[in-house]
Amino acid sequence: MVDVSKHFGGIFALNKVSFALRRGSITSLIGPNGAGKTTLINVVTGIYTADEGGIHFQGKDVFGLSAHLVASKGIGRTFQLEELFGSLTVIENAMAGCHVNSQSRMISCGFSLPSARKEEKRIRNEAMENLVLVGLEKRALDPISKLPLGERKLVGIARALSMKPTLLMLDEPVGGLAAHEIKKLVDLIHTLLSKGLTILIVEHNMPFVMSLSEKVIVLDEGSKIAEGPPEEVRRDDEVIKAYLGEEVSDESHSGP
Amino acid sequence: MKPIRKILHGWCFIVIAIGILPFVVPGLYMHYITGVMCFIAMYGALALGMGVLLEQAGLFSLAHPSWFGIGAYITGILAMRGIPSIAAIIIAAISVAFLAYIIGAPLLRLKGYYLACATFALLLIVDITIPQLGSLTGGHDGLLGIPPLSIAGFVLKGDFHFYYLTWGLCLGTLWFLSNLMRSRFGRAIKSFNDSEVASKSVGVNVSGYKLQVFILTAVMASFVGSFFCFYIRYANPLMFGFPLMVELVTMMIVGGGKTLYGPLLGSFVILWVREIIHIYLGKVLPVMNAQIDATFFGVIIVVILIFMPGGLAGWLDQLIQAGRKVRERFARA
Repeated sequence: MVDVSKHFGGIFALNKVSFALRRGSITSLIGPNGAGKTTLINVVTGIYTADEGGIHFQGKDVFGLSAHLVASKGIGRTFQLEELFGSLTVIENAMAGCHVNSQSRMISCGFSLPSARKEEKRIRNEAMENLVLVGLEKRALDPISKLPLGERKLVGIARALSMKPTLLMLDEPVGGLAAHEIKKLVDLIHTLLSKGLTILIVEHNMPFVMSLSEKVIVLDEGSKIAEGPPEEVRRDDEVIKAYLGEEVSDESHSGP
Repeated sequence: MKPIRKILHGWCFIVIAIGILPFVVPGLYMHYITGVMCFIAMYGALALGMGVLLEQAGLFSLAHPSWFGIGAYITGILAMRGIPSIAAIIIAAISVAFLAYIIGAPLLRLKGYYLACATFALLLIVDITIPQLGSLTGGHDGLLGIPPLSIAGFVLKGDFHFYYLTWGLCLGTLWFLSNLMRSRFGRAIKSFNDSEVASKSVGVNVSGYKLQVFILTAVMASFVGSFFCFYIRYANPLMFGFPLMVELVTMMIVGGGKTLYGPLLGSFVILWVREIIHIYLGKVLPVMNAQIDATFFGVIIVVILIFMPGGLAGWLDQLIQAGRKVRERFARA
């Protein structure tokens, strides 16, 4: 990702931000509220189109592509506010994630042709595997509204995993979770990493970020102010001033 | 496996009930009842498509009756010029698909009430234009003397034939749509209704799917229009347009648009209630006209919205669930 900028009106949400993600690593994106973290994810996934810059993914240019095309290139994401499909059940949400790796069209679906039924079966199995992975197999047939927050976040991850992504972006995955849920999530992320996924995490929870990440990128007011291994970033003066300094008092009760 | 068998049983029961109805009603009422049932099937099929479009896909298009009317008119005009019935039906469907594509592509960029306004304008435009086309559409008199439906030399006319034709079409539509909504296509449609941004992020081409479901329901409406004009053997500007739109929305609300079969249930209830009102109130009131109909529908909508916000289908689902709970409690005791 090179020199990406995005502004809304006169405000720069992202100002010439550049970074690279190493395949199979965990990178975290941190910064105070309004630093442009979520905007950055939205720009990468094509929800917003950046004003300038370039985005390359696995050697291909994905800058300016529509969101559904970016998704088909293997970039999956979750949302800060879950954005689950409330009219579908848990497993159907995961199955909706299989959209990119299935083909059945309207006619074959409507007449329930053998090809569509076969694909449906495959999708259901794949979705179930991902629910098992996140530990929600017992909730498969429940509607989304019955699930507590922690489980909803996991449904979001299962849905993104069903896309068989090579890059997974998690937008505040531990926000509002209890300590034991966070521990489970850390285990899950390690499992995903062992499967070769590249993971980008946007998060406020410092202990979570620092223990997990190989690299940390710090954004402030749309600009990148630091990038490096967690220990290095933790010692960076500018970072402390912009972010950690004012958040220390919060940390005592937000951390696990 | 058990629930699937149960659903199958329910389906079979309804299909058999519809299949034997003309044979079990007293001969005296046969024509009357099958006649009303034909209209229920056709309006039901229309309402089913509209239900999917409005409630499942969240596309608030009010132009549904236009596709029905255009389909009916094209079929009628072609049939009167000696084109075989099947060819006329197919040409009408293809023309409607083409029109829906041209109109849907720009209009579906709108959302919510804006889409409703634009499609409402479309409804009025079609309503006004068709009578103005002079000899082609027969002006305000409409098309008179449409030949009967003939398939491979076999002429189909009258209530009895059309009873099976229209219910075949209606249940076929229900079957197709229920398959569709439980598939990849259906999940894509429901997903952008729930969260467009998440839908895009899992790779759903949202604008493409909106256009597809818009065209699909338009073509379904065109098929109903074709059968409609072959059944009543004329086409008239009054039979679609604003009043039909109101009627379809009423059916959706009364039946419950959140479930797939709700609009069909609504069609059944609304048309029979109207018949009953006509029979009994016709004796009491000096005049019986569309305004009195509309008043009754207004009252029904208000009552349903207050006491059964999910419509009859939602209410039935609640009853079934409550029944299941009671049974479980007995089983445990």
